[in-house]
Amino acid sequence: MPAKKTNLFKNRPAKDIPKRSKDLCLEMLKKLHQKKPPTLQAVKCSLDNSHYDPKKGYLVPKGKKVSSELNVSSVQKISRSLFLMDILLGNLRSGSVNTKRELYYIAKGLIKSDSFYKPLDFEDQSDSDSIIDFICDMFEVYREEMNCFANDRGGQTYSKNLVVTEYLDDGEKAVVDLSALGTTPFQPKNKPQQFQLKPKKGKIDYCLVVESEGTANTLVANGMTKRNNCIVMGAQGVPSNAVRGWCKTIQDQLKTPIYFYGDLDAYTLQNIYRTLKAGSASSLIRNSDFSAPKVYFLGLLPEDVKKYDLYCYEVSDKDLSEARALKKAKDVLKNDPFFQNKKNKKLAQILKWLIKEKRRCEQQSVFSTNPKNPRVLEEFLIEKIKRGAYI
Amino acid sequence: MPTITKSSTAEYFAKNLQQVGFSSATKAVLTTLKESVDNSLDACEEAGIAPHIKIQIKKEGAGSSKNTDLVSIVVEDNGPGLEEKNIQRVFGEYLASSKFGRGRCSRGQQGIGISAATTWAQLTNAKGVHVISKTKSGKKAISVTVNMDIKNNKGILKNKQTVSIDKKQGLKVEFFIDGRVQLNGEGGIITYLEGTALVNPHLELEYQLLDQELRKIPRVRDFVPKAPPASLPHPHTMKLGEFLQHASLYGRITLKKFLKTAFSRISDSSLKEMIKAGLKAGLLKKPLKSIGEKDYKTIFSILHKTALPKPSSKSVLSVGEEGLAESIHRLGDIDFFSVITRKPKICDYKSVVVEVAIARLNVTGRDEDSIQLLRFANRVPLQFDKASCAITKSVESVNWRAYGLSQSKKSLPTGPYVFAISVTSPFIKFKNASKETIDASEELVEEIRLALMQAGQKLKRHIRKEKNTADLFRKKEYIEKFAPILIQKIKDITGVNKKAIEKAEKGLYAILSKDTAQAEKALGEAQKKLEELKAKRTKRLNIEQEKDNAS
Repeated sequence: MPAKKTNLFKNRPAKDIPKRSKDLCLEMLKKLHQKKPPTLQAVKCSLDNSHYDPKKGYLVPKGKKVSSELNVSSVQKISRSLFLMDILLGNLRSGSVNTKRELYYIAKGLIKSDSFYKPLDFEDQSDSDSIIDFICDMFEVYREEMNCFANDRGGQTYSKNLVVTEYLDDGEKAVVDLSALGTTPFQPKNKPQQFQLKPKKGKIDYCLVVESEGTANTLVANGMTKRNNCIVMGAQGVPSNAVRGWCKTIQDQLKTPIYFYGDLDAYTLQNIYRTLKAGSASSLIRNSDFSAPKVYFLGLLPEDVKKYDLYCYEVSDKDLSEARALKKAKDVLKNDPFFQNKKNKKLAQILKWLIKEKRRCEQQSVFSTNPKNPRVLEEFLIEKIKRGAYI
Repeated sequence: MPTITKSSTAEYFAKNLQQVGFSSATKAVLTTLKESVDNSLDACEEAGIAPHIKIQIKKEGAGSSKNTDLVSIVVEDNGPGLEEKNIQRVFGEYLASSKFGRGRCSRGQQGIGISAATTWAQLTNAKGVHVISKTKSGKKAISVTVNMDIKNNKGILKNKQTVSIDKKQGLKVEFFIDGRVQLNGEGGIITYLEGTALVNPHLELEYQLLDQELRKIPRVRDFVPKAPPASLPHPHTMKLGEFLQHASLYGRITLKKFLKTAFSRISDSSLKEMIKAGLKAGLLKKPLKSIGEKDYKTIFSILHKTALPKPSSKSVLSVGEEGLAESIHRLGDIDFFSVITRKPKICDYKSVVVEVAIARLNVTGRDEDSIQLLRFANRVPLQFDKASCAITKSVESVNWRAYGLSQSKKSLPTGPYVFAISVTSPFIKFKNASKETIDASEELVEEIRLALMQAGQKLKRHIRKEKNTADLFRKKEYIEKFAPILIQKIKDITGVNKKAIEKAEKGLYAILSKDTAQAEKALGEAQKKLEELKAKRTKRLNIEQEKDNAS
C-alpha cells in the first residue's frame, strides 16, 4: 500500500527527494556529455564547520562542503552512492523503512544476486553507513526522511499528566495516556516529532531528564510522578535521535521547563548534555529538529559537591576513558563553539573546574547524604529547582 | 696462606671455552667449522689463491656427553698448506698467530679460535685434530694428529706420516667432537655458509651436511682480494703501557725518529706543536733507551693532547659493490636489490668500511615477518647476540617507512627482505672474545646508519616504481569495474534514453583515462630514474674496476 505523504518536520519545507535525486543524476549526465567531471557536494559535518548561534541555541553549519569530483579515486564512492540512493528511493516509493544494518544486508543481497555489482561490495557496515550519511548530507535531509530509521534507545518516559497522540501514515490515530501505563514507561521511537502532546489537566510543571535510565526508574518507582506534576525521562547516556527529537517536541509543544540531571564529569557535559541541548558536529544538518536549546543543566554542579559533601572519584590517568574525556575537555574549551560562547560561560567554567580538580561526581552519590531516606534524590532535585540552582 | 699458582694460557681457555664460542653443543659445531673456514680463507687470500673449500659434516654416533652426538667436521681447502712446525703451533698452541696486532683486515686476529676447537675435540673425544697438509714445495703431504698439551700450551704431534694426495697444495682438517648440528635459523650452519658465500664472491664452496645432498656454490668473481698492508699505529689509539712497549721495540733511535717513523700521522709540525705544549726540545734528540719513565709519561700525555690528523683509512679491505651485486644472487630468487660500499671512515680512531646489501626475495607470505638480518665483521658472519650489536641498533634506528618498508617504532623492518651488513676494520671492537657482537659505539652506529640510509634511497626507487605500477594497474582496474555501474545507476535513476547514456559513457571514459595517463607518466618517470641510477652505478663500477686493474 503506498504511503500517505506526511510532512514530518513542521518547521521544515518538504523535500522532494526523488526529484532532487533525478536532478542530481541529470546534472551528472550533462557534465559527462561535456566530458567534464561531475562533482557531488555535501555539507561538511565536523567541528571546524560548526557555528553556535546563541539565538537559535544549537550548532549550525558554517558553509564548508565536502566535494567528490569524479575521478579514478572517487569512482567507487560515487558508484556506491548512486547504488544506495537507488535502494533508498525504492523505499520512499514503496513506503518501506529500514535500519542502516538492514540496508547493509539489502545492498549485499543485491550485489550477491547480480555479479555486475560485485565490485561495489561492502566489507562491513561502516562502509555502507558512511555512504548513507553522505547521501543525507548531500541532500541535507534527515535519515528519517529517507525512511532509514535507527534502533533508538533511551527515552523511557513517565508522567501522570501527559497524553501523547500519534497520527500514523495509514491515517489511524493512536492516543496514549501515560498515567494509564502503570509501571510501563512510554518510549518514543523514530519520529517523536510527529506526536501531539497535551497535559491531561492544566500545565505540566517541569520535565526532568535523568542521564541514567535506572535512576529515572528509581525516582518514578519511589513515587516522584505521583507526588509531582512532572515528566520524568531517562536519557540512557548519549541521547539517541529519538531522545533528542522527543525532548525537542516536549520543549516546543508543552512549553514546560526541562532540566537535565547527570554526573558531574567532562563526558556528561560535553557528550551528553551538549548533544541534548545544542546537537552535535556530526549531525549539523539535523540539529534544528534534534536539539532542545532550552534544557537547563540541573546538576550535578561543583557547588552541590561542596554544599552536600558529595562523594567524588579522582580521575586517574589509568582510567583511559575518563582521562580521554578530560583531555578532550581541554580541546573543547579551545575549539567547541558551544562552550566558547559567552552564553555558556558557566558550563565552560565547570569544565575548567573538572580539568583543575581532576575529580568526578556521580549522579547517584546524592543517596550517600541520607542513606535511610529513599526520597532523598527527589527532595534534592526539587529543592534545587525551587532554589534555581541550575545553569 | 693460600698457595699462588700460575696457569698456562691453554689451561685458562680449556676452562673457559664458553668465552670463545663453545658455550653449547650446537655452538661448538658451528664455531669449529667457522674457525676452520676462516683460517682457510685467510690463508688463500694471503697467498693470492682463489679459495675452493669443501666441507662435510656427519653424525658418527652418540657423543660422550649427555644429549650430544659425535660429529665429524671436515674442511678442505686449496690454500698454501702449512709446514710441519706451523701445524703444531697453529692447532696446538694458543695465541700463536701470524696476524696478531698487525692491523690488517684478516678474519682471524689472535690465534685463539682453532686452538680452542682442538681443545674441545680433545676434551670431548680424547683426540685432537687430524691435519693433512701439502705445501707447493713439499713432494708429499703430511698427515698428523695434533693434540694439545694444555699444561704447557704446546701442540703435540702424533701418528705423523707422509701421504700422497692428488693436489698440489692444500690443507684438510678433521675434527671429531661432541656437538649437535643445527642447520637452519639464525645460529644455523646453512645461514653461516650462505652468509660466508655472500661476502666472499671469490669463494667456491662445496658442502655436504648430514644426509643432505652435496651443494656446490660456484665463485662469482675470480678476483682475489688482497688485504692491504698494515699501517703504522696512530698514537691516539694507544694506552701508556702500549706506548712504552712500542718504544722498547725501537732501541737506540732518537725520540724524534721514533715518533716520526713508528707512528702514523706525526709530522715535523706535530712535533713543533708538542714543543709548544711543553715538551722539552732536548728530549727529541735523546736516544729512547736514555729516556726515563717520568719523561715517557710526559711525552705520552703531551702527545695525546696534541691535535693530529685522523688515522689512514687505506688499510681497510671491502667486498665492493660489484662483488656484492654478483654475490647477492646466491641468497635465492632475488626480486631486486641495492648495494652500497661506503668510503673508509674513521670511527673511534679506527678505519672502518661499512657495506650494505639489501635484497628483496621473490617469496610470498613473509610481509609480516621481520627482515632477515645478516651481520658480518671482517667478512665473517655474526650469528649470536643480535640485539646488542652495533649493526642491529643501526638498522633499528633508521625510519624504514620513509623508504617504503613497514616498521614498528625502533624495531627491525618487516617484509621479505635480506639485509646484509658488513663492517671491516683492522681493529673491530667486539663485545666478547667469541666475536659474536660488534660493540655499539655512537660513531660506528652512525656510520652504519648512513650506509643503510643510502641503500634505503636506492631501494625506495625500486619500491616507488613498483608502487606506480600497482597504482596504474589499480586505476585501470577501477575504471573497468566501476564505470559501467555508474552509468547503469544514472540510467536507472534518470530513465534517459540509450543515446544519452552512450554519450555519457564516452565522456566518463574520457575523464577517467586522464588519470591513467597521469599514472602512466609517473610510472615512466620512476622507470627512467631507476634506469639512470643503474647506469650511474655501472659507470662508477667500471671506473673503479679500471683503477683496480691499473694498480
